Amino acid sequence: MKRTLQGSLLKLAGGFLFLQALLITLAPAVRERTWNVSLPWTHWLAFLLWAGFAVRIHADLEKRLPEADPYLFPVAALLTGWGMLAIWSIDADFGARQALWFAISLLTFRAALRLRSLQFLQRYKYVLLGSGLALTALTLLFGVNPSGFGPRLWLGCCDVYIQPSEPLKLLLIAYLAAYFADKLPYRLRIIHILYPTIVLGGIAILLLIAQRDLGTASIFLALYTILAYLATSRKLIPVVSILALMVVGAAGYYFVNIVQIRIETWLNPWNDPQGGSYQVVQALIAIANGGVEGRGPGLGAPRLIPVAISDFIYAAIAEQTGLFGTLGLLALFGILVTRGLRIALRAPDLFRRLLAAGISAYIGVQAILIVGGNIRLLPLTGVTLPFVSYGGSSLVTSLVALLILLIISNQMDEEPAPLENASPYLALNGALLLGLFAAALTTGWWAVIRSPDLLARSDNLRRVIEERYVPRGALLDRSNTPITVTSGEVGSFKRTYRYPDLAPVVGYDEPTYGQAGLEATLDGYLRGLEGNPASVIWLNHLLYGTSPAGLDVRLSIDLSLQARADELMAGRRGAVILLNAQSGEILVMASHPTFDANRLNETAADLLNDPHKPLINRAAQGVYPVDSVMQPFARALFGSSTLSPAQWQTVYEAFGFLRAPLMRMNTSSSASDGQDFYVSPLQMALASAALSNRGTVPAPRIALAVNIPREGWVVLREEGTPFEACQASAAEEAVQSFVEAGENVWSHVSRAQGAESSVVWFIGGTLPDWQASPLAVVVLLEEDTPSAAAQIGRELLGAAMTP
Amino acid sequence: MTAIVVLVLRIGLAVLLYAFLWRVVQTLWQDLKGQSTFLLSQKTPGILVNAQTEGGAELNYHFRQTEIIIGRGTNCDIALKDEALSARHARLSFHHGQWWLEDLGSTNGTFLNKDRIKVPTVIITGDQFQCGNTFFSLRIDQISPIVHNEIGDLQ
Repeated sequence: MKRTLQGSLLKLAGGFLFLQALLITLAPAVRERTWNVSLPWTHWLAFLLWAGFAVRIHADLEKRLPEADPYLFPVAALLTGWGMLAIWSIDADFGARQALWFAISLLTFRAALRLRSLQFLQRYKYVLLGSGLALTALTLLFGVNPSGFGPRLWLGCCDVYIQPSEPLKLLLIAYLAAYFADKLPYRLRIIHILYPTIVLGGIAILLLIAQRDLGTASIFLALYTILAYLATSRKLIPVVSILALMVVGAAGYYFVNIVQIRIETWLNPWNDPQGGSYQVVQALIAIANGGVEGRGPGLGAPRLIPVAISDFIYAAIAEQTGLFGTLGLLALFGILVTRGLRIALRAPDLFRRLLAAGISAYIGVQAILIVGGNIRLLPLTGVTLPFVSYGGSSLVTSLVALLILLIISNQMDEEPAPLENASPYLALNGALLLGLFAAALTTGWWAVIRSPDLLARSDNLRRVIEERYVPRGALLDRSNTPITVTSGEVGSFKRTYRYPDLAPVVGYDEPTYGQAGLEATLDGYLRGLEGNPASVIWLNHLLYGTSPAGLDVRLSIDLSLQARADELMAGRRGAVILLNAQSGEILVMASHPTFDANRLNETAADLLNDPHKPLINRAAQGVYPVDSVMQPFARALFGSSTLSPAQWQTVYEAFGFLRAPLMRMNTSSSASDGQDFYVSPLQMALASAALSNRGTVPAPRIALAVNIPREGWVVLREEGTPFEACQASAAEEAVQSFVEAGENVWSHVSRAQGAESSVVWFIGGTLPDWQASPLAVVVLLEEDTPSAAAQIGRELLGAAMTP
Repeated sequence: MTAIVVLVLRIGLAVLLYAFLWRVVQTLWQDLKGQSTFLLSQKTPGILVNAQTEGGAELNYHFRQTEIIIGRGTNCDIALKDEALSARHARLSFHHGQWWLEDLGSTNGTFLNKDRIKVPTVIITGDQFQCGNTFFSLRIDQISPIVHNEIGDLQ
């Protein structure tokens, strides 16, 4: 019964790992959306190795430890295989190394199976602990870090490294178990408890200060506390220990740099997401991307988390298998801990009871510490997730710990030792299960509730990766001529800007520099997350972990007029806007100097430092001084152009100068430096439009429609609402005084002097008797050439009025 | 197409993980149920104790509990006013599937079938013992034998 249970659990674990290996093989086909890709097969080596050892050790256990607990080995084997495949899917090199360590660990395991008795641990406790401490002390002198930076906790050479602090944990447990088992028959005095405290506390603090190894230090303290509490049943011990931890934590916060960083990034990770808390924020984004169902083994992008294979393996697994996977993983640890403590309670003597309890606590505490660190439940401590994380020392230690538990559980023919008080054991089990439960709840919080916010963050690099695999929607002009398109093959999609002069308006979408302009404000449609039915978005996320194909957006820009404007503006600095005064559709929006978004990679540094700021959309976001250019508006409202300051304020208010225009584009509102009043060309264009549109300021529009599959072009509503600035008759009357003889348009040129420079404005528009759509134009030049401004404005208006 | 195949496999992956956990929970539950049935089946057989006091009075006691204390103390299960009895004189207890008689360090000793006992001793129906000046005889109730089913294997 027992053995068949172990066998059937191993078969289920094997099935799970088989599917996982198969999924890793198929992953590139999903990512590239075709079968025509090269599929990875090497990780099957890890699976075969796992299966081989599982079968062998199952047989060994049957023979040598027939009475051992049937759950422990399958659970640990499942965790180990899962970790190995997850590591392989993230980084094949480290996966191969982990497989090698796996083989070494299990050969050790098989050799140690012959032991059966653990008395030697009790007898040579000082020798064992002493040699463990000596090895750890060696790292102070000869320690290295295989990655070249960070705490130097490893010993080794020639590309093979061991971390002595891992086996030291196990030796510490054995020592403490033996110590308490020897002392307990005598009445324990407080000094007996204090004596190892001083020694171990000293070592822990030494490690903390000399090695900056927070993880090991906290595990030492936790294990010491737990074993002392189990041995003595004194509730004071955990209480004092927690207080001591707080004091040490507070002291560390002020005196030890790394403690401060860790606590700071734990409490406020959002303050510095690119620096100290980069890892944690990236881990949370990975968990959010996993969501409930997970992206699938081999899919998602856990590689983006630094050290995903060891410290952050939990976050990587969360991304691959989602909340389903992580809840299962935490449950497996829950089973290990609970079975371990059951073995402790049934152990035939105090030494073995404390040893088993200590090992269970070690597995549970370490798992909670690192999982909690991954999900911001606890400050991050760099320890490994037992059985799962990459690391030879950790894997060997975990498996030896498992073997000790199995050996203790095998001695069931002996009666359990008498137990004075079961409550410390039950309390420990409860606390560990509660910790795992809290980890599950917190994972759910990030994976489900906070997921949308986290995924929308600009430092979610998955959005950038996604654009190489999912086509982004195109931006088209009003007659569907492409302005900006995405082209190429799946996996190497590239954004091309067909009409580079529009760059300050259209903006860019670039892996390094992010998004700007319409590419940023229309990102929802271009990425397919807006406009598409929720079911399509959900299905794409479920199947591919990406958004659906992006939607094309039609802009109100008229490319032929735009080209004319850019031609006229060549070599000048300023902005031009031409719009349909009635519908608010912007036909031309030019900002000069401009730049070529196709070459952003080479030119970005120059552009950022350019004193003329070509990246800014002058038309919508630049603000310029006004002077007599406001005369037509004053005429329309008060019939005169000499007004009191209060009356000017009324004019600004009525023509909408005091608000930023509402549209799918970043726009500026007016500004004032106390002396001069500054407005944006867009505000000026809308106000001018009112004079050609019977006194009504139209709602500006740049994005006209979006092309939704199976629905066709769907009109995008304007964001703002038109409003009446003055009466229709007043507007008609006002413009009459700005019509030059023989012209069919009104126009007004004026200089304005700001604090720093002088500019020239040209405003104009069609007259009320114009039969076609009314038009308005604004030209702003950052130079003192009124004639040039007037020429540009008139030519453009004329071109727009000629059908 | 690839994605749908992979989705089915992903669902399979989750199913297998939870099948594993389900198997664990199911067997643990069976184990728990087995333990409780096993313990329930281990009913303590009742014991009938017949006491003959110095004065010739005959008292019959029937117990269902697993521990019976004999003595002069009033909190004893069999409390007798016998000057030769100690306050807590002897204990009858049921464990390891047997009734045991044990002397609790009494002054005058406990005699089973005339022999003084020093260690806990198994007793059966028909045994007679003496504490102080009181003679006791025993009859242990018959119960159905313990059913050894799969519980025994799980043990």
